[in-house]
Amino acid sequence: MNADFILRSGERGYNRLVSTGPNAGYVAGHPDGVITRHSCFNFHEYQSGISGFGKIRVFGDEVFSANGTGYNMHPHHNFIIAAVILKGSLTHINTIGKIDVLNAGDYYVFSTGSGGKHCELNIEQEELQVIYIWALPDRLMTPPSYHRGHFDAAARRNELVCLVGDRPGALPIRQDLRIFRLKSEAGGSYDYALRPDHGAFLFLIEGAAMVGRDRLERRDSIGLVSCRRIAIAVGAEGADLLLVDTAL
Amino acid sequence: MKRYLCLGCGFLYDEALGLPQAGIAPGTRWEDIPEDWVCPDCGTPKSLFEMVEIAY
Repeated sequence: MNADFILRSGERGYNRLVSTGPNAGYVAGHPDGVITRHSCFNFHEYQSGISGFGKIRVFGDEVFSANGTGYNMHPHHNFIIAAVILKGSLTHINTIGKIDVLNAGDYYVFSTGSGGKHCELNIEQEELQVIYIWALPDRLMTPPSYHRGHFDAAARRNELVCLVGDRPGALPIRQDLRIFRLKSEAGGSYDYALRPDHGAFLFLIEGAAMVGRDRLERRDSIGLVSCRRIAIAVGAEGADLLLVDTAL
Repeated sequence: MKRYLCLGCGFLYDEALGLPQAGIAPGTRWEDIPEDWVCPDCGTPKSLFEMVEIAY
């Protein structure tokens, strides 16, 4: 589970969920509503890939078509669930934050602990694009908590911004894990120092970047455990990426 | 006594606690739970649970 790897965009798991048939109780929406999910790690029907990385178990790149598509109210336990909204609008109804609406640049972290539940819907006419990250907590059955934040891409461009974790301004979780986002428009070099016994998972949302000697393009990802310094070089085309620093 | 987490939703099976409401007595070992058992909350099969060493 904790070895270096590169996963190209097209190598990820793929599921297409519709609101009719076996998933009708779980998937909301009109009969023509569709959720597509690309998974970097094994999740639900996709079980032929990598099982996880450090404390990460799910990394999903999902699109909810319009027309009320989403996931009906469902229970969780223990997992820490983070969502980063890339495009569109997510209506998030949960047992902690009540009804929340998140738009592009917004993100949340829902520590579901002893049993938080939530329902996630796209109720707009535009499609919703969202990244989901699930991580194990460091304690089981803790009281659920919910926090939200906003990534200001204009004000915070060209720096690694900590969205989730134990850094100033980041949303708190009960795990030795940090989620960063970098939006580099003009290009540049960015170094990230890993602590001992930690690994880094990087995912290119848009654009391209060199990570060490490897070039990542849109929706490619890389896991690194064998180096302590992550060197990210972005060219003139720019890049928008997520970096997860996780205990191994 | 071990703990197993459902990778579909995070549901916890703790061998020490069992699942008395589903007829599984406290102390029931993971290997003694039928292979066709699924997560009571999300339906994920037993084979997709992960053994964890996380404390309460």
